[in-house]
Amino acid sequence: MLSRTRHPGRNTEAVLLALVITVLALGLALTSVGLQLRQDLHPLAGLPGLVPPVALVAALLAGAHFLLRLRRRTMEQILLPIVSLLFALGLIAIYRVRGAEGVWQQLLRGFVPGMGILMLFIWRPQVVETMRRWTLPLSLIGLALPIATAFFGVVDETGARLSLRLGPLPPIQTSDIIKIALIFFLAWYIEREGREATGRARIVLGGLRLPAVRHLLPGGMFVVLGTLALVQMRDYGAVLILTILFAGMLYAGFETRVFATVGLLGLGLALLAGAVLSVTWEVPIVIRYRFIAFVDPWSDAPLLLDGEPTGITVAEGPGYQIQQSIYATIAGGLTGTGLGLGTPSYVPLAHSDFIFAVVLEEMGAVVGLPALFLFAVVMLRLLRLAAVLPRVQEFERLVLVGIGIHLFVQVFVMVGGTLNLLPLTGVTIPFMSLGGAALIVNLAEIGIALGLAARLEEARR
Amino acid sequence: MDLFSIHTLLFAFKWVFVGLIYLALIVVVITVRREMGLRLGAGRPLPGSAPGKLIVLDPGGAPGVLAGSAIPLRSENSLGAEQDNDIVLEDSFVSGHHARLRWDGAEWWLEDLGSQNGTFVNQRQCRPYKPEPVPPGAALRLGEMQFELAE
Repeated sequence: MLSRTRHPGRNTEAVLLALVITVLALGLALTSVGLQLRQDLHPLAGLPGLVPPVALVAALLAGAHFLLRLRRRTMEQILLPIVSLLFALGLIAIYRVRGAEGVWQQLLRGFVPGMGILMLFIWRPQVVETMRRWTLPLSLIGLALPIATAFFGVVDETGARLSLRLGPLPPIQTSDIIKIALIFFLAWYIEREGREATGRARIVLGGLRLPAVRHLLPGGMFVVLGTLALVQMRDYGAVLILTILFAGMLYAGFETRVFATVGLLGLGLALLAGAVLSVTWEVPIVIRYRFIAFVDPWSDAPLLLDGEPTGITVAEGPGYQIQQSIYATIAGGLTGTGLGLGTPSYVPLAHSDFIFAVVLEEMGAVVGLPALFLFAVVMLRLLRLAAVLPRVQEFERLVLVGIGIHLFVQVFVMVGGTLNLLPLTGVTIPFMSLGGAALIVNLAEIGIALGLAARLEEARR
Repeated sequence: MDLFSIHTLLFAFKWVFVGLIYLALIVVVITVRREMGLRLGAGRPLPGSAPGKLIVLDPGGAPGVLAGSAIPLRSENSLGAEQDNDIVLEDSFVSGHHARLRWDGAEWWLEDLGSQNGTFVNQRQCRPYKPEPVPPGAALRLGEMQFELAE
């Protein structure tokens, strides 16, 4: 069936992308001038060095845009610009705290490969279908990588094993790969089993319907194995994301009553496991410290390690980074200190966990709040796309819901942690934080969404 | 303070920076509004609303249905013996909620809802709860009733 509507092109996206590149160039330039002024150097001396990174970003974004034009796609024009604007804000903040070195690291280890995958999905949207056909082996590889990391991974300075070294490649953080693997696995599995599980729910407990155990076992096993691997890796933030993804996708995929039953049962099991663990298992020091710091970052109480005082107080230990993040937020206020003119380097891990504190300090709430708004729009667009896809494409719809949940939950817990509204969780803010594998996975997720929009458009044409 | 000092310029450009971000934000909001809000309110038919009808080939045991009559289809149709179906088929071999016929914008999909006597597309039985694509002109059988899906 041929579409009779006039071909509207992709001009909205072109305008927005041009704006984004201008914002990036201006932001980096202002930061550079501000930094040079503080060191009493020539204010414009840092500018020539900024041309290559800006040109690289512009070239990749323009490449993706013209690829979409070439394929005559008109749907979903604001997802790519929003994501690149968030990336640009993050890159400016990274430049502020880590300099040109951090910028190149973010570009070469994250943005360039990530955009490569994104363009692959734009160029060949059928790849999603291929992935669907190969979901089981692919997601098992995604599960095997963290398990391998848990045992053979590179141990970092805090004693956590987060990355795996594969040959000559730089070490990759595998906990991000398991998230996307879980999204694909659950989508594939719910599509395959969900309907039958719902249709044949035989056990009825006072209005609650329970699907047969064999329908739930594989999905549950996947989550349990992944969780165990992540616990062994000491990546508790990823455990949280995995659990919310599991619950969210079950909610989206199953009938509400079945979900309620499964959810209640899961909650009961979790409480039981928690009760057992609280007696037998010592809560990991990372979680305990983060919770203590969350309750009162300025506490004078002595910090304990294995019951022994460590000689420092909570305020000097785990509370310190929260304090600095709060100070940075306050220093920024409504309009920010100005780019390059604040002191965000006091915040530990300002380039990854606390990147949002840097944005708030130097650009102020006047930029920070729109950034949050844009994250909400990303979630909304992904869910909208899931809603307009045909009902029969359950796999694709569930993948989109999973991606939306993944991105939104990470923003939620990280911004909450930065502002001390939630205990700090060690995950990344999508598109903003410095991080190779995480950025690649996030850009790939956006690529999948654009690819699915393209498939829908082809079907309607 | 000197009007053209570097600090004045920095201050001015900072607001240009913020202004550009808000410009992008406004374009985003306008686009979202244009694509979502207005379209929902206008009540226009969705692109490709259900082009097709069911032609009765064999009315089976359903009273008052003539062979050759056409049943208009919407983009989503439930078929079965119960009165709450979109298309009520009063054949004694048709289950209460027998099947569902959907137009996804490109193709027709038939899903058997766990019926007693099965749903057949071109003499091939559908697996329950697995939507199957139905090519135009295909013969459908539910219970004793037979249809042709016409464009």
